[in-house]
Amino acid sequence: MTQGKRYAVLGLAILAAGGLRMPFERQLTDDLTEAGLLPPKLEQRTGEKIGQTFSAVSLGGLRTLVATFMNLRAFTFFTEQRWGDVGDTYELIVDLAPRTRYYWDTGSWHQAYNAASYFLYESELPPLRRKANWRASILRGRDFLESGIRNNPSDPVLKHRLGTLLSDPNKMAAFGEPTEAYEAAYEAYMAANRAENGHGYSKRFALYSLARVPGREKEALALLREIEAEGKPLPPTMYGLSYALRYHETPTRPIMDLVDSIFPSRKAAYNILGSQWLRTRDRFPVFGVAEAVALLESDMKIPPQDSVLKQDLAPPIDTNDYFAPKHK
Amino acid sequence: MKPLSAFTDHAARIAVIAFHAFTQLVRMKVFYFLAFFALILIASNFFNLPQHEGPEAAGLDVLRAIKSWSLGAMTLFSVVLSIVATSLLLPKDVEDRTLYTILAKPVPRLDYLAGKLLGVLLLVFVSLAMMDALMTGILQIRTNMVMAEQMAFAEARGWPAEEVEALKRDILAQGPSASLQGAVFSVFLRASIIASMALLISTFSTSTLFTTIIAFLIYFIGHFQADARAALLSQEAGMSDGFFARAVTLLVALVLPDFQLFNVIDAVIEGQVIPLVILGKLTLIGLFYAVFYIIASWLVFAKKEF
Repeated sequence: MTQGKRYAVLGLAILAAGGLRMPFERQLTDDLTEAGLLPPKLEQRTGEKIGQTFSAVSLGGLRTLVATFMNLRAFTFFTEQRWGDVGDTYELIVDLAPRTRYYWDTGSWHQAYNAASYFLYESELPPLRRKANWRASILRGRDFLESGIRNNPSDPVLKHRLGTLLSDPNKMAAFGEPTEAYEAAYEAYMAANRAENGHGYSKRFALYSLARVPGREKEALALLREIEAEGKPLPPTMYGLSYALRYHETPTRPIMDLVDSIFPSRKAAYNILGSQWLRTRDRFPVFGVAEAVALLESDMKIPPQDSVLKQDLAPPIDTNDYFAPKHK
Repeated sequence: MKPLSAFTDHAARIAVIAFHAFTQLVRMKVFYFLAFFALILIASNFFNLPQHEGPEAAGLDVLRAIKSWSLGAMTLFSVVLSIVATSLLLPKDVEDRTLYTILAKPVPRLDYLAGKLLGVLLLVFVSLAMMDALMTGILQIRTNMVMAEQMAFAEARGWPAEEVEALKRDILAQGPSASLQGAVFSVFLRASIIASMALLISTFSTSTLFTTIIAFLIYFIGHFQADARAALLSQEAGMSDGFFARAVTLLVALVLPDFQLFNVIDAVIEGQVIPLVILGKLTLIGLFYAVFYIIASWLVFAKKEF
């Protein structure tokens, strides 16, 4: 056989081997994608696909290393307060390492907390621009977490973080209606709790959010009973909610009877319910709280001038206050 | 007994050539890069940015950094080593005239090629094994440190047992694991494919530089083979990219190896588990390419005049 013929045979052999291995490699790619070892395929035409997956694919084996370096770069942008660059860099980082929770979480944190605080307190922009940027930063942080959850559906931490962001009273105005934000936060916390390695405390936070949704008090009470049945020690906020939700369920029940059945002591009841009454900005339900505080003060012989009920209540948070000149 | 004896003869010849190629490469002082790797590992230990996560996550990013820096360095070293060492082998034997001495003896050319390739693969394997041992050792030490710190934290906070277990699982997922060893093996498999492909190129190449450049190009484009294949199959299903695009995708899909399969390394660094079946399939693919490229190299090399 001449060398020319040998090259021809080689060419044919390469094509034949390619045809032979193609079904096996295709199946293996599907298996790897299913096992979460390769990112899912995008249904696009070649040019678009290569454009979008260029960095992720061509850096095969080095993607996480490059993501690590990009994270360093993002940190520099963060120290220089270049928020757009921070966000863009994290978009790239999560393309490279979509399974690393840390990058989704950090990208969101930079936008929703650091950039938002910057536009709140430090930016030299006019108030309207600051407000628009503040809102956009918080929403970008939320988007980051939601994309992170879509990419890591079994991760409980990102879901819990989303709940924390959505139920933050200082960010509430960016989401529109507080009721919707609390409902979304409740869903996020419950999803975190249901996840395989979910933490028990996510359920408690879910209750805190649900209790603040008007009209869903019954569901909140059912969830509270579920948590109580677990028999774990409860924080003071839970006692306060227990009182308010049970009062809402049966307003005719004698108040002191209800107080004594929930709190370890009347002094503890007074401290917890007094605090709940004053925390107006947290929007916790206060069904029957004023009545209980009045009765407890009378029982504990607290002079009327020292009454919690006489203290000024903080007005609801008005976003426009954030951007008034006094904050500059 | 005769076929067995022929087989052992071949195996013995291949082993001698492989060991010779390995020694030849070791004398080029390639293991010096291990000092550089050790430096990278030490540097990755100090990689600790201020974090916003709670104290329960402290230290986890360092474990992740150790893995990503180490496996990234392994990937780079193994690919460069495979391509450059294989590209050098044949031209160096011609230059030193060792090739004439070997081929003048009753050594089948297939044995010569297989021996040379195995020598390179042995070098890559030994290098990766040493880097793996360094990485695993340091990762184990750091994991123990993070674990002790976190358990003390959890105990001080009086965490319930199930949450302590979840924390332990989170930390152990970032520490040394069987999947991490599987990822190192995947690095070796990818390096084996690229080395055997470089061997094929070097059989008809005119210079070492040509072999190196073409091998690196194929390595790069091979990462898009899966996309080309998917595009080709979707075209068959009705989507159209035009004649030229179809021809290119067909060629890429049929000719180039699919290197994207070995990107599982990235998922392992992020804490995913590689099932043994999948590692077995990757090994089969690696073997298929290595055997195919050796036979293809022999086809070109068998009657080549020197």
